[in-house]
Amino acid sequence: MTLDPEVDLSKTYDAVIVGSGAAGGMAAHVLTSKGMRVLLLEAGKKLNIEQELRSMEWPYDNANRGFLPPDSHSLNFNEYTIRRPPYGPGFEKAKHLRSYIGSSDYTKNICVDERENPYTGTNYAWVRARCLGGKTNIWGRLALRLSDYDFKAKDRDGYGENWPISYNDIAPYYDKVDLYLGITGVKENLDYLPDSIFQRPTKLNCAELTLKQGIQKMGRVLTQYRAGVTSDGLKHNKYRTRCYGRGACSRKGGCDIHAAFDSPTGLIYPAMDTGNLTLRPNSTVREVTVDPNTGKASGVRFIDSQTMKDYHVKARVVIVAASTLESARLLLLSKSRQHPNGLANSSGHVGHNFCEHVMGPGITGRAKDLVNKPPTLDDGRPGGFYLTRFRNLKEKHPNFIRGYGFEGGSGSTMFPRGTDTLGFGAAFKQEVRKNHGAYVEMGGFGEVLARYENHVDLDPLVKDKWGIPALRFHYKFGDNERKMCDDMKETAKEMFEAAGFEILHVSERILTEGWSIHELGTARMGNDPKTSVLNQFEQSHDVKNLFVVDGSAFVNASCQNPTWTIMALCWRSCDYLADEMKKGNL
Amino acid sequence: MSLRNPIDLRQDRRQWLKTSATLLGASVLPMPAEATQASPQTQSTPKAPPRHAHETRSAARFFTPEQHALLDELTETIIPEDSHSGGAKAARVTDFIDKTLRETQNEDQKRTWKEGLPLIDSMSRHYNGKSYVDASPEERIAVLTVLSDNERMTDLPEVKFFKDLKHLTVIGYYTSRVGIHDDLQYRGNRVLQEYVGCDDQGAAKT
Repeated sequence: MTLDPEVDLSKTYDAVIVGSGAAGGMAAHVLTSKGMRVLLLEAGKKLNIEQELRSMEWPYDNANRGFLPPDSHSLNFNEYTIRRPPYGPGFEKAKHLRSYIGSSDYTKNICVDERENPYTGTNYAWVRARCLGGKTNIWGRLALRLSDYDFKAKDRDGYGENWPISYNDIAPYYDKVDLYLGITGVKENLDYLPDSIFQRPTKLNCAELTLKQGIQKMGRVLTQYRAGVTSDGLKHNKYRTRCYGRGACSRKGGCDIHAAFDSPTGLIYPAMDTGNLTLRPNSTVREVTVDPNTGKASGVRFIDSQTMKDYHVKARVVIVAASTLESARLLLLSKSRQHPNGLANSSGHVGHNFCEHVMGPGITGRAKDLVNKPPTLDDGRPGGFYLTRFRNLKEKHPNFIRGYGFEGGSGSTMFPRGTDTLGFGAAFKQEVRKNHGAYVEMGGFGEVLARYENHVDLDPLVKDKWGIPALRFHYKFGDNERKMCDDMKETAKEMFEAAGFEILHVSERILTEGWSIHELGTARMGNDPKTSVLNQFEQSHDVKNLFVVDGSAFVNASCQNPTWTIMALCWRSCDYLADEMKKGNL
Repeated sequence: MSLRNPIDLRQDRRQWLKTSATLLGASVLPMPAEATQASPQTQSTPKAPPRHAHETRSAARFFTPEQHALLDELTETIIPEDSHSGGAKAARVTDFIDKTLRETQNEDQKRTWKEGLPLIDSMSRHYNGKSYVDASPEERIAVLTVLSDNERMTDLPEVKFFKDLKHLTVIGYYTSRVGIHDDLQYRGNRVLQEYVGCDDQGAAKT
């Protein structure tokens, strides 16, 4: 696997892919495996990721104890709440300004500098990772399937649109993703959360087991964290190692042995080994170009992120996979005579129907029978538990539609949870120690309804470091989300009570829009070209050789985490793409 | 953790501030950090030999040797050595705090610390009749209890200081070898053949 310093931009590639995250990596894998000559463009650097992540480093061996260096600042909840984008004014002292996720020494080079990448409009915690692999380098790894409760949600409650696919269409591709990338979990046989083909599962610790048993009588399901992590190893991938169960997975940072899926080692390096993939990092794409005669995509124009030089490269197919919001931005930037509202935007829906997951309500408790017990090893695994959706499955909730699940975990952590204990001195120290393994906590992830009016467009004035117009947000949570969050905190309480936990804190506040880093829907699929941007194969209704294969294709957000679905959909679309190309239809 | 006769800092503070303001001569408090001249407090503190010889050599230190010695005692009061494990001194929390304040861009935080240390020392003189370093463990606890019991009064610089003192002591301690290994006996961050669960831990199960 070698990286060409200067790639050949004179030839016409079979496909050019914009973005190297979960979607771009998957497109590169599928298309190169079919013999297509592919150019993959990534706006950020190719980082030496092992050097960045250092997942087994002890805090005392780190100059900043694992925290962000003092010359930098990462935005916090209060700042996201009070201040307005673009974030920059008021932070002049900080050499680098990062999103909230860039608050550790291990993510500081993965997350973008906010000042170089401004955005405007409504408050939004926009987390962006410009580097090879994008956010997959540091993702939370919860890998869930969607079901027809999501794909056909309109049939159930009348809201929004159905997806142009059903579970049966995508199920074989979920299987492919499971087998190619590896996933750990336990079969539960739930129709609303289909099982994957799981490798060796992690184990629940005692408080988690208590909660699982406590809520069983309520008909609710808690299962081991379904992690996009290979726990048995992958014979076909020499770049990844099986999970060693080392712990420290909960700290903000990724997996430097690549047991957890990341796009470079899981998809891109193997794709390069086919000899069919050319990779060019430091390539900020600013326009999808169009053939003036046919109106079809002809290639992309990009700026070298470091030299600022402008380039154009031609391709028979253009695949946009820059992340939900960046992909919408790129389509809107790609205005031409044939496409005056932006590319693939005859419907006017590009940038609209923007949705995600709402976060905030959560709970912290204490398992009394675990207080003052000998230290246990609780975090030697990629995650704790997932408490599955239970609202609006059989019965209808009177206050809101759709559902939410909880992610959580319990037990001892490298940095103890109880340091907000009042007081000081010997009693404080003892209190922290004796409760260290007894904490249990979880937080909700709820579906934000896709609404046309929640959208992004281009700011008429503000530009980024490369002179490209910035994205402007017009996005707010609505009534359904607020009512859902009210319910989350109540059910969190009732379940902790059912488990017999002592409740220490119930978090009621809703975190800033964007916090879940699950933005979706800005170029949705559909059968009707008037109300959707893409068809069921993530192919533009307007421009047949243009595909948008990331989260922007989602029709709704579901309440399950999106990465596995992004990749399964992308695989399906690229299978179709390759077939169509063979038939000469593109 | 509260005094037998809890002191209402709100009422007591006026009296105390009057005294200390007279003592200090003005509301402008001495700047400890990079200050070249010793403050009234540190003058009257017997000069203790610096804990680590190399620290006096470094002009870049945030704290003077006297302040370092005072902070050693303050952090040790927050997280003391006990029969189970070492405390903040053993974890060299003062070095961590010095580095944090030396490097921070947060001028407010620097000011909080510059004001806070002499205020604590003044409190000790007020309540105990002697400097914090000279006070007994019980007397030190009494001073910090006044602040801890009134920790919502963050308009007072000494309370703000106490909260940041506790915050940085906690971070410094629980990211240290002493905190992670000796005190919490953290068992993670090691290579495992099998995942560990409830059944494997032999811990009580409800």
